[in-house]
Amino acid sequence: MHVLKKMNGALSTSTGTSRFSFVKERAIKTLFFCTASLAVVVVTFILLFLLRDGYPVFTDVGIIPFLFGDTWAPTAVEPLYGIFPLIVGTLLVTIGAIVFAVPLSIGCAIYVSELASPRVKNVLKPAIELLAGIPSVVYGFFGLIVLTDFIRVSFNIPTGETWLAASILLGIMALPTIISVSEDAISAVPREFKEGSLAIGATRWQTISKVIVPAAISGIAAAIILGIGRAIGETMAVMMVAGNAAVIPDPIWNVLSPIRTLTATLGIEMGEVSVGGEHYSALFGIAVVLLIITLIINLSAVAILRHLKEGQVGRSDRKSFIPASLQEPFKRIVMIILIAGLVLFLFTAAPWYLAVAIVLGAGAWYFGRDRLSGKQIEMISFGFIIAAAVTVVAILVIILGYIIVNGFPALSWDFLTQPPRDLGRAGGIFPAIVGTLYLVAGAILIALPLGVGAAIYLVEYTREGRITRLIRTGVDLLNGTPSIVFGLFGFAFIVLFLSVGVSLLAGQITLALMILPTVIRTTEESLKTIPQTFREGSLALGATRWQTISKVVLPPAVPGIVTGAILCIGRAAGETAPIMFTAVVFSSRFLPTSEFQPVMALPYHLFILATNVPGAATNQYGTALVLLALVVGMYGIAIIIRTHFQKKSLG
Amino acid sequence: MSESAIITTNNVNLWYNGKRALESVSIKIPRNKVTALIGPSGCGKSTLLRCFNRLNDLIDHVKITGEITLDDKNIQESGTDVVVLRKKVGMVFQKPNPFPKSIYENVAYGPRVHGVKDKAELDTIVEHSLRHAAIWEEVKDRLDDSALGLSGGQQQRLCIARTLAVEPEVILMDEPCSALDPIATAKIENLIDLLKKDYTVIIVTHNMQQAARVSDYTGFMYLGKLIECGKTVQIFEHPQEELTENYITGRFG
Repeated sequence: MHVLKKMNGALSTSTGTSRFSFVKERAIKTLFFCTASLAVVVVTFILLFLLRDGYPVFTDVGIIPFLFGDTWAPTAVEPLYGIFPLIVGTLLVTIGAIVFAVPLSIGCAIYVSELASPRVKNVLKPAIELLAGIPSVVYGFFGLIVLTDFIRVSFNIPTGETWLAASILLGIMALPTIISVSEDAISAVPREFKEGSLAIGATRWQTISKVIVPAAISGIAAAIILGIGRAIGETMAVMMVAGNAAVIPDPIWNVLSPIRTLTATLGIEMGEVSVGGEHYSALFGIAVVLLIITLIINLSAVAILRHLKEGQVGRSDRKSFIPASLQEPFKRIVMIILIAGLVLFLFTAAPWYLAVAIVLGAGAWYFGRDRLSGKQIEMISFGFIIAAAVTVVAILVIILGYIIVNGFPALSWDFLTQPPRDLGRAGGIFPAIVGTLYLVAGAILIALPLGVGAAIYLVEYTREGRITRLIRTGVDLLNGTPSIVFGLFGFAFIVLFLSVGVSLLAGQITLALMILPTVIRTTEESLKTIPQTFREGSLALGATRWQTISKVVLPPAVPGIVTGAILCIGRAAGETAPIMFTAVVFSSRFLPTSEFQPVMALPYHLFILATNVPGAATNQYGTALVLLALVVGMYGIAIIIRTHFQKKSLG
Repeated sequence: MSESAIITTNNVNLWYNGKRALESVSIKIPRNKVTALIGPSGCGKSTLLRCFNRLNDLIDHVKITGEITLDDKNIQESGTDVVVLRKKVGMVFQKPNPFPKSIYENVAYGPRVHGVKDKAELDTIVEHSLRHAAIWEEVKDRLDDSALGLSGGQQQRLCIARTLAVEPEVILMDEPCSALDPIATAKIENLIDLLKKDYTVIIVTHNMQQAARVSDYTGFMYLGKLIECGKTVQIFEHPQEELTENYITGRFG
């Protein structure tokens, strides 16, 4: 009896404290749940607001005439809202980008994972990441000044602003995504496959082409789909080089025709449209179509990658959906279509002698292949792979070099500290620098707590279930949403619906929503690297879940979270499309004094100087260089932090 | 050893990252016999095995000195065609490593990369190799199924068939049974016994009973050195070196 009483006493005191901590734990968990649900809420809101504002065009014009009408003339006396040329334009530009990017990036990925020495690899991988960090408006600027000019001269046409220019530029922008995702897939192929093949006496090329690449094929497919998603969603770069005539190329493979995409239409016309009119509604209709296309593409890539993560690497117990007997003819038909397409493409795009040379070369290869030994084929293939890697590096060097060399003379103390004069032709860019810093500071302050909270909820508080799946899908959808769609949403919801007005605050929130999925994803990844035994050790000592998280799990995860945050800052600093309608003005002599005033921003400033202000050459390059330095600097810092802590954790 | 040697090493040293893994190893591998390499973990037996088909080339920062000859040709020379070498010297790995392809394609892979295109010829090679590896009866009705659906023991015999399909002279086996259960192990051991009629087999094993059961010759390695090498019976019953005796009688390792 006596003992029992004593124990009762002890228990009751401990129930007292545990009731308090129980409530606290519940409150914390609920808080994290709310931050995690935000992604789903935002996606729903984006869809609702786009649909709300786009709805009239679907009823007034009708879905079929809207989607398949062949004339886009919103400002004509009798306005016509047929977006078919824009959809075709988007698809053609994307196909062109993929044709350009896939061989280069897969060659480069094979080079990095299979051929490069460790030292070369340690240089190449960060270099490719830097390529991903270059802001799209800088790509657009480079494309406008250098690439279109190159095309104009080499094909002897009046303007180089063409489908070809847009495709090459988008292809370059898709390179880093495709390279790094397929490189991961190739590196994940078990070493045993490689050794098994080499031990039979296969050459390295036979091993790569017949064992390693087939085993990594679904990862490579996902990489390509992600690259497509990136190309379709891109606005600024494509808008600056595509010529933007809403026509279907004639003939359809004429890559030297100007072309206009869905995103470019939004970028060009959104700023000039009267709110609430039919044209306004049509633009939101376009955003809905764009969102649906990118959602389908990104979700399928995510599905493939997730499938891979669940340990399905190369496990193909399922039968292929094409019966074995039909596979050979099927392959042959696909090949014939591809080759025919390429030949047509070549004869339109390239000078005829080049096309003939390439066709002859390909023919010689096809018929002479059997006469070559394995070693000779290997040498030729490795030659192509190395050429691909060299091309990727050369592209990076050319873009960076061009902007640094031309931008450097523009830099001066006055340029960095003075406001612009004469529409930016003279004076400096001080307000734009400060504006960009304000924008990204606000964006990260909003996104970081929300994103980290959401990641903690997803990793620490739940098991995989229906709710986490829903949240994760929300995050994936948000991640795949084109930045221009964020811009439209920010405009419709924050600027107009909440009557915040075009302001710093509206821009910060829009950018925060855009980077939120990346914050969540990188935080999740760094939390997942913390060994389960740490958590078990702490919980076994009687620590609560929150104590465990805050004292044991989070501290070692901080470097990873910080790295992710810096990458997000870099990305936010370089984005133009989301702030174009929500936060920026072109020229302002003064700094904003409150959150409700508009600001200048570097990427927008560069965009306007490059497209709308003739005779601002020096200041264009200077602005591009400052923007590039800011963004690439952020990426560089993030990469350094990551390698530093990776080395540390290895001992 | 009186028999003619197919592989000879002379004073071979090997460093990983500056750490010495093999020290003055000189061994003669007799033709058409089974030679076992035994010794405690980390003694260098797998490293030595991987010298015979130059698979150590795959690892960064490896340095090798000394002479390794196959049929009296030095395979360490820089002009050596490793592809030809590896066609002659096949290898079966510790963990079964079939490719993520069908059973048929796994076996046909080797002949294909060496230039066989004719479907009928490939069919013959595949059947012959699978029969030789004592797995034909188990898989003949599902050659188009994925090789990854086979059991571990079947996968390992498939890997042996895959090796046989390129008609090597030597088969290297790197602890081929360590991932298998006793029944599968027995099947592989029987197979090794059959193989020595046509091939030279070099097997690395942790398991001394296995070495005693399957091999004609045995080499004992310790800390990167070849301590003793000779007829299996002699090594197990009258070892010359004290280290060998200690190891075999279970006093260490």
